[in-house]
Amino acid sequence: MIYTVKNENAGAKKIALDDLILTKDYPTAAGSRMLENYMSLFDAEVVTRLQAAGYDIAGKVNVGEFSLDLLGETSYFGANTDADGNLVSALSESLNDADACLCVDSNGTPRRAAALSGQCFIKPTYAAVSRYGLVATVCSGETVGVLAKTADTCAEILAAVAGHDDKDGTSLPQERIDAAKQATEIKKIAVPVSFLANLSADMKAVADAAIADLKAQGVEVVEIEDEILAFAQPVWNTLSAAELCNNINRFDGVKYGYRSPNYKNIEDLYTNSRTEAFGILTKMQLLYGSEVLSTENYMPVYDKALRMRRVICERFAEIFGSFDAVLLPACSQTAYSTTDTDTAYNESLYTAPASVSGLPVVVCKGVQLVGKALSDGALLALAAKL
Amino acid sequence: MDALLMQRLEQLNRVALTEEERSDTLAFFEKRFADMKTCDSVDTENTERMVHVFPLENVLRADEKKKIFSREDLLKGAPEHTDGYWQVPRLLE
Repeated sequence: MIYTVKNENAGAKKIALDDLILTKDYPTAAGSRMLENYMSLFDAEVVTRLQAAGYDIAGKVNVGEFSLDLLGETSYFGANTDADGNLVSALSESLNDADACLCVDSNGTPRRAAALSGQCFIKPTYAAVSRYGLVATVCSGETVGVLAKTADTCAEILAAVAGHDDKDGTSLPQERIDAAKQATEIKKIAVPVSFLANLSADMKAVADAAIADLKAQGVEVVEIEDEILAFAQPVWNTLSAAELCNNINRFDGVKYGYRSPNYKNIEDLYTNSRTEAFGILTKMQLLYGSEVLSTENYMPVYDKALRMRRVICERFAEIFGSFDAVLLPACSQTAYSTTDTDTAYNESLYTAPASVSGLPVVVCKGVQLVGKALSDGALLALAAKL
Repeated sequence: MDALLMQRLEQLNRVALTEEERSDTLAFFEKRFADMKTCDSVDTENTERMVHVFPLENVLRADEKKKIFSREDLLKGAPEHTDGYWQVPRLLE
């Protein structure tokens, strides 16, 4: 953790927060030099709810810059590696000192962290948990989820933070969120075989073992052919870059955040502050987002991506006509020693379908189980058995 | 897309890339545009855009004045401020 909180509340569970979640008593940097030492004037709604429910905040956890990356490697404050030089997510490491970690899932980072560390993560149905008080990056898909060692702990903490919030204009009505608590049984799962094609041998073994565990629980697992869900990768990256571009253009070195010492006029101040503060992946995404919103590309690229989002959602609905959930790998490998600016993009093949559709996902046994909207309780109930 | 267009984007977004970063970013763009192009195999002419996965209802509140944060609080995070205002370089010579 990059900031640890000392608590006197003996017996209370301790919850870590990823550093995209605003806290008024501790700094929030979002992994970026732009927000180094930034102090919010208010707490995110999830923090308010956690504390009202009697949980202690354990500290803030380092993330990659705006959580756009693979496993936190783009953080201005440094990446974590193990003795072999493999990337280790600070999110999963936080469970050494906390009972659970609230993580913002915008590009699948917490899902990969859970899969690689053997922990459990729930990305709830979009808008079932308030986004009020997040460092906004991808508003139409980012979701606060729970990382923990067990599905039961995920369910407990999710219950504490989920619920309608008037302060979040996208928040679902309470009666719809209540429906997500119901634990109807998941009996039949689809596995799109194309997603298994490029897994490393280790990761294929992880997926096979998870499928065997599901079958041992009496779940029917059926391989299906699918040619639509993989389009979620370019679609999500286009939509998320466009939204990121709008969201981070607020950082100008004037009202808060990093200001370059090198400027002669206002243009220099803006450009040098942003150039010195943002990492290269953020800059690339920012420029790509700006370009897809240009007059030339708006219709053929951005508008197309919005239409494809509906195609993907309709494909999920079609699958859910015959199945209760879809099994997807969370990543292609069981370890990453190096990354470049394309690695997170390449790996988003596996996480983008649920991001683009806002569907709930549980990661357990190293794989993702994507459920129908508001089937969060059912997914967690199944994960608890595995 | 060429380097000139990239410079325009940099100017628009107030960031500056090195030549090497510019070249890498062009490759980054090329891959993403090529991948988006594959979506053209799906006919979406009669498909409606989906901006949000759930229909949104407009959230309204009473049109009442509220003071949420004080001027002093808002200036606390500013890199530079003076006399109760954010400070920026002189705009007019």
